[in-house]
Amino acid sequence: MPRQSNDELITRWKDEPAPLLPLLHAFHNRDGWISEESIRAVSKGLKIPLAELFGTVTFYHHFSREKPGKSAPRVCTGNVCCLHGGNELLESLKSEGATAMPCAGRCDDMIPVIIDDKAFVGLTKETLVHRATPMPVPNPGGVTECVFSKIREEGRATLEGYRSSGGYRGLEKALAATPQDVIDAVSESKLAGRGGAGFPTGVKWKAVADAPGDPKCIVCNADEGEPGCFKDRTLMDHDPFAVIEGMTLAAFATGAPLGFIYLRYEYPETEAILENAIKDARANGLLGENILGSGLTFDLYVRRGAGAYICGEEGSLLNSLEGKHPFPRNKPPFPVTHGFNDKPTAVNNVETLASVPHIIANGAAWYRDLGLGENAGTKVISLSGDVQRPGNYEIPIGLPLQTLLNDWAGGPLPGRSFQAVTMAGLSGGFLGGENLNITLDDPCIKSKGSFLGAGGIMVFDDSRNMVDAAHDAMEFYAHESCGKCFPCRIGTQRMTERLNGSTPKLTKEEWLAEMNDIGSTMKSTSACGLGMAAPHVTESLMRYFPEQIEAHLNGEA
Amino acid sequence: MISDLDAQKTAKALILTLDGEEVAFEPGETIYEVAERHRREIPTLCYDERLEAFGACRLCIVEVEGIRNPVASCTTKAAEGMIVKTKTDTIEKHRKTLLELVASENRSVDVNQLSGYASQELKILVDRYDARTGRFAGKKSGTSNTKDKNPFILRDYDNCISCYRCVRVCAEREGDYAINVMNRGFNTQIITEFNNDLRDSECTFCGQCVQTCPTGALGDRKALRDSDTEGEIRKTRTICPYCGVGCSVDMLSKGDKIVGVQPAMDGPANEGALCIKGQFAFDFIQNADRLKKPMIRREDGELHECEWEEALDFAAAGFAKVRDKFGRHSVYGIASGRAPHEAAYTMQKYIRATYGTNYIDNCSRA
Repeated sequence: MPRQSNDELITRWKDEPAPLLPLLHAFHNRDGWISEESIRAVSKGLKIPLAELFGTVTFYHHFSREKPGKSAPRVCTGNVCCLHGGNELLESLKSEGATAMPCAGRCDDMIPVIIDDKAFVGLTKETLVHRATPMPVPNPGGVTECVFSKIREEGRATLEGYRSSGGYRGLEKALAATPQDVIDAVSESKLAGRGGAGFPTGVKWKAVADAPGDPKCIVCNADEGEPGCFKDRTLMDHDPFAVIEGMTLAAFATGAPLGFIYLRYEYPETEAILENAIKDARANGLLGENILGSGLTFDLYVRRGAGAYICGEEGSLLNSLEGKHPFPRNKPPFPVTHGFNDKPTAVNNVETLASVPHIIANGAAWYRDLGLGENAGTKVISLSGDVQRPGNYEIPIGLPLQTLLNDWAGGPLPGRSFQAVTMAGLSGGFLGGENLNITLDDPCIKSKGSFLGAGGIMVFDDSRNMVDAAHDAMEFYAHESCGKCFPCRIGTQRMTERLNGSTPKLTKEEWLAEMNDIGSTMKSTSACGLGMAAPHVTESLMRYFPEQIEAHLNGEA
Repeated sequence: MISDLDAQKTAKALILTLDGEEVAFEPGETIYEVAERHRREIPTLCYDERLEAFGACRLCIVEVEGIRNPVASCTTKAAEGMIVKTKTDTIEKHRKTLLELVASENRSVDVNQLSGYASQELKILVDRYDARTGRFAGKKSGTSNTKDKNPFILRDYDNCISCYRCVRVCAEREGDYAINVMNRGFNTQIITEFNNDLRDSECTFCGQCVQTCPTGALGDRKALRDSDTEGEIRKTRTICPYCGVGCSVDMLSKGDKIVGVQPAMDGPANEGALCIKGQFAFDFIQNADRLKKPMIRREDGELHECEWEEALDFAAAGFAKVRDKFGRHSVYGIASGRAPHEAAYTMQKYIRATYGTNYIDNCSRA
């Protein structure tokens, strides 16, 4: 294909919904980087002030503003990849212009390296391979699953395979009933936000349905930026139509004709899979106008992010979609009344949406009863780090952590024992000691000062230095802090410095007092979840591993 | 039938409890606005009442009963029955920690008052909260842009605290969108497009960014020339003479010397805004070359000082001569844009009545 001109690219995108990100990607793809000339063209084409657009472009980690740009390797140096030699791999690729990237959401595999639009994996420069996202292993506990119940079926990622394995049964059932029936079923199932916040999905949909303003919007949050989380990638790669059907059900329930999947940059193959799936659904009357002959109109667009953890926060995500600087929004108002373009919007996580077709097809009670004891439903746990069989496991909520670690995932590596696990990816901080005997449900985990969140659990065995682990975690937060609110912007930086010993010598008392004061102020006063969650890392480090802090302060390795 | 007015009269007044005191508020008011009206001294750094509340500095946090974390009072709307506490020990502790953190990222909290209208805000708060403790030492944020040699605006980002008041005033008040924020987190930096100089950007040098900066990171370079001049800074309220808008300004002087201009935040015509001329172009006032008396070019070809009476007579004679020789349309009047309505009216009257021509215009029309 001949090189497209600036004007051709702008004409292609300027009248599409949420055009800025795809237009910037179009320039990034064409040239391999985003030049000053490109930014000027986009500024003119979309009528965005030049300084504002320049600032916004610089916000995103993955937009290159110089050569070699997009084709230079980006090597994951997330927490788990650090355990596997991510920094060494990065070093070996430096001659090819390699740079570090935060957790790229493939912690159940070898170290991911993104080159152009391909995500390779490997442990050394010579052995990088390009291969599909790992499929979850058959449920080791033999328990009934929801989102993974059909994912392993042959051809499930094709429309034909999806339909032949029960796909779109939920939508057909819903279209024969009323939007209120769908909201009622989702409410009764007790499905709650699986992206981490745990807000009841039925309540959210009801609020959007009741809010005045059109067009309403459904946003699938596929930003999956939380380190140690890679469940959404698996769901989208191997069961894309479940996400699309879930969004269509949300559209039917709330009356939204428009939807977006906001996909993180680090999943290039997933973008192609979703685009193909949407095309097939549209061609078969499952998206667009008059879906399944019901009169329902719903259309769906994939928008690819460009490397910003904060864009998983719904206010930032919406600003990013709208082409604004991706700072979080002040709440209230919430997206259910003032979301995309200030219209009522349901922002739901991939796993949440992928659960809904199963819930509608099998009934609310079926889903609710999948949980253990008082708990309703299931949760996909992304398990990674020092454990025999890392991977995605769909657990009944309430499963003991030890059952997951030892019975399902094969226990620690030979000769090792578990020292700590993270909760909620990184956002829940560490659990260690006695508290490794929790059950995986929020009432239990919250009683230990943490939370289940998006379900990422990283395992650290007794060979690991937990101060280093905490440092890598805090460095991630500092890298990803948006820079809007003071406590997070300065606090994450100061905590990182105190964990890598780059500050002037502090006594133990001073160190602890400073860390406690920063942590307490960040938790109480930060403007969004990033700054509120980051201190869990340091708090739990101080709680479980005081002797390692002492060694750190004494300059011992 | 109840009219809207009656309904308003019978509507129950909205009430919240502020530090134990029941106070009324209007729909749409924020907690901060209510508290300010009731003389609570809530600290802020990112707040400028002329701008949309942003919620960045978090100093204005207050406790609201029933909400777990403190809320930023600037972005939180007051609601009926709210129970608000503006100054608990916990809140004050957080404020002190926040100020210690902010102080730790800057090279200095002490800047010259001539830097700008709001330049002392950080210093005043740091002292009020006794936050010069040296705690949280570490890397400094921001990089001073010393290469930007424009004569008006100092860009000393070593003292920037990323409150974005400059970015917001430029967009929301001036409509220039000349500056924005690059990067994120601790590496945020205020920049123009492509991080160039201000003169290569959309900047019109109105100086509003300088005047809203709470740390002196943006400084008034013209005023700062007189940092070392002896004498107290005196502020004299006056009206900018440049055009007919009538912006209120405070002339800053030390002794007999005019050293700078600051916009009056309460100026009814400008509400803190000025243009490049009103803000920075005051050097002519005390310039040695300034004409202080009228002058006439006499037959020797040189300009000679004279009295106003003679000058006006000389000019009138000249106009009359031209009219008599070339006719009434040989004179074309252009009124100055700085003239108010009354003067512009007089000018057209003069041209029409004196010469009998409609050749009258105003330079603002060009």
